[in-house]
Amino acid sequence: MAYVATRGGERAIEQSQRLYRAEMGAITPERVAETRRALPYLIDRLMGEASLYDEDLAALALAQTGGELYEAVLLLRAWRTTQPRLQVADPVTQDSLLTHRRISAAFKDIPGGQILGPTLDYSHRILETAVLSGETHSPDPVTPADTPAPAQHPSVAAWQADNDLLTAPEPDRTTGNDIPDVTREPLLFPAKRAHTLQSLARAETGGVLALGYAAQRGYGQAHPTVNELRLGEAEIQVRHPRGTMFSAGRVKISTAEVVSKQGAELGLGFSATLGWNEVKVIAAATLDLNADGAEKGSPTEEEFFLYHTEGVESSGFCNHFKLPHYVTFQSSLDAMRDAKAKKAQQTRTPEPAE
Amino acid sequence: MAHPLPSVPETRSNATFDALMWALSRPGLIRTLPEPGMDGLIDALIDSECRVHTDDETLARQIARTGAEAVPIAAADHVFLTAFPDAAPLDHLSLGSDLYPETGATLILPARIGSGSRLRLTGPGVDGEESLRIDGLPANFWTRRRALIRYPMGFELFLIDGTSVVGLPRSTEVELL
Amino acid sequence: MSLKSLTRDWEPMSYGFLDASAKREIRRKMLKAIAVPGCQMPYASREVPMARGWGTGGLQISCTLLNPKTKVKVIDQGADDSVNAASIRRFLARVSGAPTTLDTLEADLIQSRHRIPEEKLRDNQVLVLQVPNPEPLRPVQPNMSIARQMHADADYGRMWLQLYEQILRAGRVMQGASYPSLVNGRFVMTPSPIPRWDVPKLHMAKHLTILSAGREKRLHAVPPFTRVEPLVFDDVPYRVEEHGALTCTRSGARGFFMNEIPQDDGSSAFEISDSEYGVKTLRQRDGEAVTFGDTWYKHGEMAQ
Repeated sequence: MAYVATRGGERAIEQSQRLYRAEMGAITPERVAETRRALPYLIDRLMGEASLYDEDLAALALAQTGGELYEAVLLLRAWRTTQPRLQVADPVTQDSLLTHRRISAAFKDIPGGQILGPTLDYSHRILETAVLSGETHSPDPVTPADTPAPAQHPSVAAWQADNDLLTAPEPDRTTGNDIPDVTREPLLFPAKRAHTLQSLARAETGGVLALGYAAQRGYGQAHPTVNELRLGEAEIQVRHPRGTMFSAGRVKISTAEVVSKQGAELGLGFSATLGWNEVKVIAAATLDLNADGAEKGSPTEEEFFLYHTEGVESSGFCNHFKLPHYVTFQSSLDAMRDAKAKKAQQTRTPEPAE
Repeated sequence: MAHPLPSVPETRSNATFDALMWALSRPGLIRTLPEPGMDGLIDALIDSECRVHTDDETLARQIARTGAEAVPIAAADHVFLTAFPDAAPLDHLSLGSDLYPETGATLILPARIGSGSRLRLTGPGVDGEESLRIDGLPANFWTRRRALIRYPMGFELFLIDGTSVVGLPRSTEVELL
Repeated sequence: MSLKSLTRDWEPMSYGFLDASAKREIRRKMLKAIAVPGCQMPYASREVPMARGWGTGGLQISCTLLNPKTKVKVIDQGADDSVNAASIRRFLARVSGAPTTLDTLEADLIQSRHRIPEEKLRDNQVLVLQVPNPEPLRPVQPNMSIARQMHADADYGRMWLQLYEQILRAGRVMQGASYPSLVNGRFVMTPSPIPRWDVPKLHMAKHLTILSAGREKRLHAVPPFTRVEPLVFDDVPYRVEEHGALTCTRSGARGFFMNEIPQDDGSSAFEISDSEYGVKTLRQRDGEAVTFGDTWYKHGEMAQ
């Protein structure tokens, strides 16, 4: 009954994985390198959701899964979780970021200036079909500006705080291992501020967008204005065991501040993530902006959006419904049939009238 | 297929936890640790996420190496005591809250198992009732324990005697005979 | 001191996949779960190389408990031969070198989804149940923080009300699997989606049961010799599935929980859900010497 089936099950698993990969062919170092070079924004999105900054591993995960994003994130998360934690880097402040792009919708111009930077926002979305008939599409080279924009900028919220338009959040002086880490301790509610921001940073982009969009459409109390959206690079400063600080390199990050009028002041929502992913940080900052005082069970309540934008969990759970559930189904059938029989019996022998 | 091999510390921690898990699952039954003393418990349970109190310098050094924070007894999630002349420290133990019972402390004490006061145990993990002799604890220990525990709030107790360990979860009723 | 002294030697994979700090956290939480039976203990729940919802909670417990001598059995819906059980069994063996078995009697550790084996478990066996939703209050209160407060207050009125309403509407309690049960007279827990047939097996059992939800990051436990009482009204007794009189069409085993197999002619055939018990019955029929363990149910009735 089961001997053959057991081995059969294992063979089926093996073959199903071969089938999945059959069309993709070999995963070569060249393929990984080309994936990394050709798809930087996909790599960024993946690194953010995996909360692991390593472009090569992210490219490998994409190559290995054929671009099945949920699978790729899970591969990276499972790898990440077993890695030793050597150091906690120094805090990064907004005004220390090496800024590539910085725009504000709140003001026509801002101290330090608007920097359009790399974006497809104003592109015309037309497919370069000529490539498919054999032509090469080479982007025109960038012409550098006469005077380069300054590399560092203060945040717009800092200017507003100086001008009594908003109350700047109390700076959190926690450092090192004392910073609560959502990957090493359970998320409880009301969530620690660090846990909220970390969870949003590694949330699934589509999920954050869906709930952030719901809030923007009116299921939230606050209508966001993008105070500042920034794409930049952050210097990772760590301490050598000898005591000296040194840079371990730079990582690409995205940050968003959104504001809305709350009485005589501006309310502030914030989000940051690894990699360049604008939609995610704007949507996440919108959720953050709306979280305060949100009704229990509404899409802008912290517990609601943090649970439901966790991509590894939501995709895993959704997929698990493919697993057999015939025991639970059998158990329900038993109750249903019995209830039906009871009902039939009742209609046959009606209660005598008083 | 090649599989990873357990290191010596991994093997020891695995066996230590096995003893602790069954000690707490079956209160009053004596389990055997792979090595005598409290060192193994520290390796199996304690790391930088813990807040630990101890009265012993050697243990304190070992605990510091795990990255755990050394704190006063009231703030500790794990308390390792080697001298326990009176039951007063019990009054400071964290008992957790109704909302978070798991924040109640774990107390590890040396004791002589098999001689001394006779105790009758009942509660989860006990088949009917269990009796146990414990020596080396202050006279009012069991009455203080009973007075402090307001289930599900309370603390867990491991008594260590060489390689022997007995576990008493907060759910165990202890009666001094 | 050098950078190297901060880290461990590089290994392609830790023993049992989880690193030492993940195991320590799970150990600490397991002890607290045993100490407060039925109370859900939050834990960090690391990612493992399997998708959430596919047994990652159970997997983390098993990975923590395993050593190279632990005999492991894995079942899904009662069967050792289902694809997911095979996959988890292969993973556990791969990361630990632990020997595997299909026989309930031989196993030290049994990881299971949705079933408890029909043969009684002993006082040195651990049953790890995979849990999709650890919160029995979810149907009446989806918000985790409010539900936690309700547990703190032992406020189970809405649970009772829900059962009462079902009896009023349908003439019986409609809960299928995952029957909410009171543990040690204090916490209402979900026994995981095991059928009602299996819940009495947890009451005053000899073995230790750990229930773990990886996605929801909660674990709870039923220690040996602990009261597990399904929520029922005094005048409406608890009823298990009516499988006591069914016979397995393949093995002839009778009086155990069955899978219903719809037939072409519109009727149903039944097969024993505990696949290895079915295999043993078949082997005995073929004249092999087979050792059966004592079973919880005898002649289709739960033994008192």
